[in-house]
Amino acid sequence: MMATEALAGAQAGRARADKLRKLASQVPRWGVVIFFLVISLFPAVYMVLVSLMTTQTLFEARLFPWPLRWQNFVEAWVSAKIGILYWNSFYISTVSVILTLVVCAPAGYGLARVEFLGRGLLFNFFLLGLTLPVSTSLLPLFFNLKALGLMNTPFALIGPYTGFGISFGIFILKGFFETLPRELEEAARVDGASEFRIFLQVMLPLTRPAVATVSIFLFLTNWNEFIFALTFITEPLRRTLPTGIYSLSGQEFYGNYPTLAAALVVFSIPIIVLYFIFQSQFIEGLTAGAVKQ
Amino acid sequence: MAASSSALVRTVADRKRNLRRNFTGYLFVLPALVVYCAFVVYPTIYTLALSFFRWTGMTPQWGPFVGLGNFAATIADPVFWTSIRNNVQFVLVRTPVEVGCALVLAVLLSTAMRGWRLWRTLLFVPVVLSLVAVGLVFERLFEASTGVLNVFLNAVRLGFLAQQWLGDPDVALWSVTAVSIWKNIGFSMVILLAGLQSLSKEVLEAAKVDGAREVQVTLYVIIPMLRPVIAIATVLSVISGLKVFDLIFIMTQGGPLYSTEVPMTLLYRYAFTFNVMGQAAAVVVLQAIVIMIVSWLQLRFVRGEVG
Repeated sequence: MMATEALAGAQAGRARADKLRKLASQVPRWGVVIFFLVISLFPAVYMVLVSLMTTQTLFEARLFPWPLRWQNFVEAWVSAKIGILYWNSFYISTVSVILTLVVCAPAGYGLARVEFLGRGLLFNFFLLGLTLPVSTSLLPLFFNLKALGLMNTPFALIGPYTGFGISFGIFILKGFFETLPRELEEAARVDGASEFRIFLQVMLPLTRPAVATVSIFLFLTNWNEFIFALTFITEPLRRTLPTGIYSLSGQEFYGNYPTLAAALVVFSIPIIVLYFIFQSQFIEGLTAGAVKQ
Repeated sequence: MAASSSALVRTVADRKRNLRRNFTGYLFVLPALVVYCAFVVYPTIYTLALSFFRWTGMTPQWGPFVGLGNFAATIADPVFWTSIRNNVQFVLVRTPVEVGCALVLAVLLSTAMRGWRLWRTLLFVPVVLSLVAVGLVFERLFEASTGVLNVFLNAVRLGFLAQQWLGDPDVALWSVTAVSIWKNIGFSMVILLAGLQSLSKEVLEAAKVDGAREVQVTLYVIIPMLRPVIAIATVLSVISGLKVFDLIFIMTQGGPLYSTEVPMTLLYRYAFTFNVMGQAAAVVVLQAIVIMIVSWLQLRFVRGEVG
């Protein structure tokens, strides 16, 4: 009796000790993850904190802004004309994504479903664009745009962004079309629908997930794109946000870091919001081709 | 007789259908092909051709054909070799640290860590941020006298570690590399996580039942099985490292004293400061060749070991 109780007590004690040890073994694990979390998020948080500081708080190297200076956002938006750059960025990024999708959807369908001569070769030809660095097109595009008088127009960026989105768009959309069941188009074909009607009315509506992945990835790429925008747009008010803010950082924003930070916050918000809503598409888009291919 | 004529009719009909199918196929692909050729293929060929000519970019016509002269001039430029050395150092430091940290995080998150999806989401945030925002914020953090990093180091009595993070030629490349690592850990981590999730649960469970401890399981079971995915993450990191431009252009513009110059910033200088377009094109060609070779290696990893 006594012995069993003692045994039970000992067992309970051991169980508790096990539990404690398990908990203790979790400590270094959490320590590492929390360390990386802090490092990963600190700069973004700091950017937000600075955007609310006065320059004096900033130069005292304090972390927390007090008093809060919301005026920074007004200054960034109004006097630095971030609003105009915002519109440029939004317009150029969106139109490019739409154009890429308009040409990639039929191409993806054709490459996946129409058995024509040389389609394997064509697909590989399109994939080549995934590995080519953008620098291969930088100089020719610059000189041709200049010769055609298209520098400093939205087309100077919409064209290249559309073109450079194609490899990725076809890669994702073709892969997706291949996963759709054949029965659907067979049924439509029996009903006498043409290839184009099958594509438009039967297949296209089913590709929403792939279209979402492509749009989100390309929008992110276009929104953040730097080197083309830096080279093809030289008039301050025709710039997009990344190069616009970058060049303002040496002029209007020089020595006025809180306003610059406010501009950066305003610039980053759409991407962060989109990211938290469409996480899985973001991650899928950014890592597609890495693990599959 | 009747049979052969019907066979003939069939082959004619077949051929007609084939032709039509080919035509339909090309019609579907045509718009994408046109845009792709205009903005990617044609410019690439143009660059390749330009690398054999001398041109200032100021005249409507290219200058004289110089054969491999541009490549010779580039190779003779000591700054070119500095830029190569910097880029190699950048990649050799960045990739192991990035993939190593990412591996630790991926293993920690995937082995039964509560709320791992949320942590993954948060750790991935640097990847989606613009390099302009990242570069300018870090420039501020690195500022020598009032930047948070040095102020913090002084406050915890590590003042001797404080540096001119971006102003000292011996330090600047390390600083930029650190920022690049910070930006990319989340990306490698997500690739490795996807690889970890594709490992069969049975293997991991079996290893645990055997009484192997977690660290041993990780070292001797998980990591060897993950090797192909680690290879992919490594190659992707190398390729993006070879293309580095934005971050360096924003933070240091290749300076101070060329200490952060890489081929991409050098080609920009060749083209838009020195107006030697042929030489800029030669740098592009050399860079593209290296990237193609590394990408080809990647394809071999992917096709040979995973798929």
